[in-house]
Amino acid sequence: MTMDRQPMIDQWYPVALASQLPAGGRATQLMGTPITVLPGEPIRVVTADGRDLRITVRYGHVWTSLGDPAKELFDIPEADQPGRRLVEVGVVRVRCSPLRAVENFLDIAHFPFVHTDILGAEPHTEVGKYDVEIREQEDEVWATKVQFYQPQAAKSATGGITTDYMYRVPAPTSTVLYKTCPARPGEWDVITLFVQPLTEELCDVWPWMALFDDETALTDLIHFQQMIFLQDRSILENQIPRLLPLDPGREIPTRADLTSVAYRRWLKRHQFTYGAQLVAQ
Amino acid sequence: MILYDYILSPDAYKVRLMAALAGVKLNLRAVDVHPGREHESEPLRALNPAGSIPILLDGDLILTESAAMLVYLARLEAPTWLGDDNAANAARVQQWLAFSRRLTDHLGGARATEMLSEPGDLPALQRAGTLDLRELEAALTERRILGQTFLASDRPTVADIACFPYVALAPDGGVSLDPYPSIRLWTRAIRMLPGFIEMPGIHRLHELKPEPLSTETPETV
Amino acid sequence: MPVEMHRDWIPVALSADLPAATVVPAHTPSGILALWRSASGKLTALADRCPHRGMRLSYGFVRGEALSCIYHGWSYGRNGQCQRIPAHPDLAPPAAIKAANYAAEERNGVIWIAQEEPETPPPALEGFKPLRSITVGADAELIAGSRDVRMRLAGIDALLLIVGTGGSETVAHVMVDAAASEVECVAASRAAEGWRRDCERLGRKDLAS
Repeated sequence: MTMDRQPMIDQWYPVALASQLPAGGRATQLMGTPITVLPGEPIRVVTADGRDLRITVRYGHVWTSLGDPAKELFDIPEADQPGRRLVEVGVVRVRCSPLRAVENFLDIAHFPFVHTDILGAEPHTEVGKYDVEIREQEDEVWATKVQFYQPQAAKSATGGITTDYMYRVPAPTSTVLYKTCPARPGEWDVITLFVQPLTEELCDVWPWMALFDDETALTDLIHFQQMIFLQDRSILENQIPRLLPLDPGREIPTRADLTSVAYRRWLKRHQFTYGAQLVAQ
Repeated sequence: MILYDYILSPDAYKVRLMAALAGVKLNLRAVDVHPGREHESEPLRALNPAGSIPILLDGDLILTESAAMLVYLARLEAPTWLGDDNAANAARVQQWLAFSRRLTDHLGGARATEMLSEPGDLPALQRAGTLDLRELEAALTERRILGQTFLASDRPTVADIACFPYVALAPDGGVSLDPYPSIRLWTRAIRMLPGFIEMPGIHRLHELKPEPLSTETPETV
Repeated sequence: MPVEMHRDWIPVALSADLPAATVVPAHTPSGILALWRSASGKLTALADRCPHRGMRLSYGFVRGEALSCIYHGWSYGRNGQCQRIPAHPDLAPPAAIKAANYAAEERNGVIWIAQEEPETPPPALEGFKPLRSITVGADAELIAGSRDVRMRLAGIDALLLIVGTGGSETVAHVMVDAAASEVECVAASRAAEGWRRDCERLGRKDLAS
């Protein structure tokens, strides 16, 4: 059986932390293909049959592609802003579709139930109206004017506040969250989820952050984000099916899910379907 | 009292949980285990040559085994948690403290391999973890037949706390808890204890709180 | 994946393993159900999948007379109808949001489910009382041809309700003589462990041949 070339082949994916490469390299896989990330100057990513893949090092991570990306890796301008602390959170493996991992990150309605007393708490469960668009020029999904009550919005937050969020999906398995910065009103903290698709139902997730916070110890910042993501993991591993359904009849969205609806539509439009279920089974 | 802690370490969580249940205040010192591997750094090796987390410091006392930490906290502030009211119960507590080491090796090993990409023979760890769960299920079933809820005594003890975290987190290592009704009821009883705290992967028992009444402003559309 | 069952009662759990205001995953020959008991004690079996985002409902929580999904707190009544969406507290959930529900009944300490309510109640199993449910890593056909087993466990009269739950897994709901003492029940429970080891040895032998 021959298959059309999956357009996700030509995207960039994170495959290692540049600062944490073991001397012998990191043996891993990308979309089912075994690869090795080799330390050195420059860092190399090679396949089992000796092919050198294109690489770029940004946001603390080594990025590569099995294909030929038409564009450079998406830009996060805040990453270069002076005064921000760049936080490498590490990697967590999750037995779920890489697309499910991204979609969960775009969701706020689960905060009171999954991140109880940290990112959300009953009775403050209501998700108000927010704006969602697919920005044609950038070809990105954006959700703006998202607001939600948070009992402890970040490691440096001491009380409950109404937090503002913006969500952005610049690549099929990468997503960037901008949220109220408690330490510096007027600026946004940047929290990302970079997802490495190992297979359609298995992924390595690399959270990364660019924060204004001079108070909190770096380890505490790392652990806060690890805690949040690990609370999500048991959800992600128990959704049925493991693949993200793109068939509209399979799952029921509400107004709170408009970011997810736009994300799925955008995936479908580009045939970014590695990790997706096209027809309900 | 200083606990060298890691938010994702079930062994460190045992100590935080015991302290919360016993009402002991810990001074937490977060260790960058992942991705920084700080637990293997020289300053921490000086405290604990094994390079494991947690480490508990109290004055001159340095403890590096979580079971010993549970006993220390209980002995200090909550002696009924020692469960040593008679010879058989005291021995039962020791039996389960030793058993908890197997849970760390097997279910903990499966979790580290499956979730944190540590090296390990995942199928072998999962098989060994399943045998441990069966042994625990059989023991808890016998306790239930005798009208008991907890492992070693007629009340919760350090034995329950030592075994609880790796059992509750077994699914993190790809080991299902579905086949164990007695384990399910026992973990629930522990989660319902006054002062219980969670760790990532162990969710809140939302049923302990009543359904909130709608207090928010009506929708406009 | 729709759970399909014929019009027969299937034993899925013991009453004692499902206290009020709890939910458990119930393994059946055609999939897993979310089996729950309301605060007032009423029993319900629903498809183990929240229609919203596919999360397993057996990971959820029971408040009052409803089962809620752990992911977003959507709650479902005994008929499987969604009652409340916390993200939209003032919205009446559309009728289309519904988890499939199954007939569930308990008799003599055993919980039975069926796709459609059978015409006769589940068997009474008089003279026996429930001991424990035990999962065996062997094919039900190998163990007993998928049929209930009468045997003696540590000298106690026992009846094992055998349910193949797919793959090479079988659940046995172990009943023992209603007159068995606590001590005898403990002995029977230990003997059931030995019976499981025998079944699994048999299974391995069969695989090897």
